[in-house]
Amino acid sequence: MSSLSSGSFFRRLVFGADPRRTSVRVVVLATLSFIIFKWVLIPIRAEGISMEPTYRSGSLNLVNRLAYRYRKPERGDIVGIKLAGPHVLYVKRIIGLPGEHLSIERGQVYINGAPLNEPYVKNRRGWDVAEVTLTAREYFVIGDNRGMRASDHDFGRVDVSRILGRVIF
Amino acid sequence: MAAAILAVLVGAGVFAWATRETPDERAIRSRLDSLRNEVNTSTKDGIGVALHAAQIGSYFAEDAIVELGEGAAPIKGRDTVMGMVARLQPRTAAFRMDLDDITIEMVPESNTADVLLTASFVRRNISTGEESLDAREYAVVMIKADGTWRIARITAIDTLR
Repeated sequence: MSSLSSGSFFRRLVFGADPRRTSVRVVVLATLSFIIFKWVLIPIRAEGISMEPTYRSGSLNLVNRLAYRYRKPERGDIVGIKLAGPHVLYVKRIIGLPGEHLSIERGQVYINGAPLNEPYVKNRRGWDVAEVTLTAREYFVIGDNRGMRASDHDFGRVDVSRILGRVIF
Repeated sequence: MAAAILAVLVGAGVFAWATRETPDERAIRSRLDSLRNEVNTSTKDGIGVALHAAQIGSYFAEDAIVELGEGAAPIKGRDTVMGMVARLQPRTAAFRMDLDDITIEMVPESNTADVLLTASFVRRNISTGEESLDAREYAVVMIKADGTWRIARITAIDTLR
């Protein structure tokens, strides 16, 4: 008698008072989770130090794929940039917008000749990048960690079609 | 409830049908998986440097070309690839290669396939144990000869220019 009531308690704990309703909830929740984490919010794990101190290596983040559905990427946005697909991404900050002239002189970024204020950069080496002019489809992206050697840091112009979404967390 | 389960099953079926692969596509994917495993097998695991290089070389066509991007001269020929693998062995033993986002497009009426993939090289710092990842996109041309798919050309793609 005692085991029967404990079994009943266990079933109620797992399946709820109405197992049919619980099953529907589970199916709906699983489907929603699949859709959201496959096509809307992509979970990513940052690897490497190029975005420090904003993102530490190993931190878990989410990329919102719908962020640029109704607006264009803006300067300062941290974005996920796809390579061959969505499973391995570059995570970089946008500093140059389409049509702009951008250069880096002794670590200072210049946009159309004016210095860019970058409070998120804590360490800065004397990087030099000759002036580039971005086309109508190009953004200039770079990591926040400018304390590393430029040759160890992936940065540069990227086509808008490669921007998968905005890193929101 | 039954309708919901049926809808999920139908959806899964449609998804599986839409993403099905041809036998050649499966063979190419399997070949790339084997190559990855081969690269990640260290000579410490019981095989000699020359044999390891030869095994990796067997994944390449005789006149294969590897273009690693700006500033690096193209590597031409299977023998050159094998020579480089043998020379780089001490360094390659310290990293792990992963291949992700593999897209295969068969070239109609030919034994050729265009493959796009992301190769990630995870290096472990021996003293600190920390891992660093270097990922890059590659366009790979594969050809089928004597029933075996081999790499004819690898070209690194500059995602950021």
